[in-house]
Amino acid sequence: MFKSAFEIVGRVTSFGARALRDAWFPPFEGEYLLRQFYEIGVSSVLLVVAAGFALGVVMTLHTRSTLVQFGATAAIPAFQSLAFFNEIGPLVTGLLMAGRVGASIGAQLANMRATEQIDAIETLSVNSFKLLVVTRVIACSIMLPLLTAFMDVAGILGGFLSEHLVSHLSWTLYLQRAFSSVALADFVPPTLKTAVFGFLIGTISCFFGYTTNEGSDGVRKAATNSVVISSLAIILADVILVKCIFFFFPDRAI
Amino acid sequence: MSDNGNRGGQHHAAIEFERVDKGFNGRKVLDKVSFSVARGEVLCILGRSGTGKSVTLKLMIGLHKADAGKVLVGGEDMAALNEDGLVKVRRSMGFLFQSAALLDSFSLNQNLAMPLHRLDRTKSPDEIERVVDETLRQVGLEKDGEKMPAALSGGMQKRAGLARALVLKPEILLVDEPSSGLDRITAGEIDDLLVKVKTERHTTMVIVTHDVHGARKIGDKFAVLDQSRLLAFGPPEELDGMQDSRLQQFISEH
Repeated sequence: MFKSAFEIVGRVTSFGARALRDAWFPPFEGEYLLRQFYEIGVSSVLLVVAAGFALGVVMTLHTRSTLVQFGATAAIPAFQSLAFFNEIGPLVTGLLMAGRVGASIGAQLANMRATEQIDAIETLSVNSFKLLVVTRVIACSIMLPLLTAFMDVAGILGGFLSEHLVSHLSWTLYLQRAFSSVALADFVPPTLKTAVFGFLIGTISCFFGYTTNEGSDGVRKAATNSVVISSLAIILADVILVKCIFFFFPDRAI
Repeated sequence: MSDNGNRGGQHHAAIEFERVDKGFNGRKVLDKVSFSVARGEVLCILGRSGTGKSVTLKLMIGLHKADAGKVLVGGEDMAALNEDGLVKVRRSMGFLFQSAALLDSFSLNQNLAMPLHRLDRTKSPDEIERVVDETLRQVGLEKDGEKMPAALSGGMQKRAGLARALVLKPEILLVDEPSSGLDRITAGEIDDLLVKVKTERHTTMVIVTHDVHGARKIGDKFAVLDQSRLLAFGPPEELDGMQDSRLQQFISEH
């Protein structure tokens, strides 16, 4: 079991390294890449915004019930923004996208393999790896930070709405309190780390879809493995990346 | 028997198999198979399911590599070619898959235009559009270019797959089960299209089929595979005269 787990890790790593290398050489498949930006990024905006808004509301409700005991409700906006920028926005966006995009990529590529569409691309003298894998990995890596920014904004809006309904706090004062203790280092590194999450989602789900060879059962397995392994990889990578951020920005490691 | 096909094809052969072995998971599907296909000739490969007919086609276009022996296309050893070499050889080949294998997220026009955009950079978008329209017209799908593959019947998908295989005007056309899953009338229409390609373009063709009636209409030669070996090779009239009851089961129309 451990041997096969290590073997898969090795194959996924080599697959990702190939995608990373091939991304720098032509042909760049610009038209297909734009299509992936749309399918992976634009189509996910509503999901991410809705989830972020709801999380923002719930977070504020929970925080208020605790802070009210200490008379510190004025700190709610700051807690909200720091929590979203540092961890909730990046991690939840990564996990949501592992579910939505990971399953979609895994199932789509596995289906293309099962129905010989990938073979057909090769017979047309088109590099199927560059067309199908590299474009998706690039699109995931670029769209994840953008979607995280959407989630952060939606979360703060949700937090404001929840707080406004209870305490009638104004939008201006809420924003002022929310950003009073936020530095650029609280937003930029955690948001950029989601490019790594995107790379992991793209690589892992493309790997399980592109390399399957089990017909229709392979589609099911590819979709499941893409979601499960991507989610796990994101959480593990988050531990390492947070450590790295604290190393490079020690004043944020409070 | 397995070396029958080499006779007289050495100098003008489009495709040559020299004692080719191929197996999967320890099971041999081709055992020292040798034959050659002359330029402009149509070879029909007949035999039971699972005897390596489709694998033979995939060896020809480099989707599989032989375990032993040589597969030569236009004199090039397919196993020795790198990625660029494969692209060059494949440019002169078209492949019609059993399931048509159209890219299901692309319209018919986009399916046909894809190889043209990438491989024929001398053509302007208008010229590509004209070539696509012309090719679709040849297979009777001139009004369906905007449709997605899922919106087409099985026969229409086969014709679209044939159009895509022909769009680069290949010297060699490989066809996997053109009549599979089609009623007799539609299968006859596909056969007629292949006869048209043969007479008008003098394209070298290798057709894998179970349909003996269709094979006799199109094929110049038959290759009969049985139990991983080449049971017989030659013009149908010659094979008709052989006193081999097993062979006659494969090539008899009744």
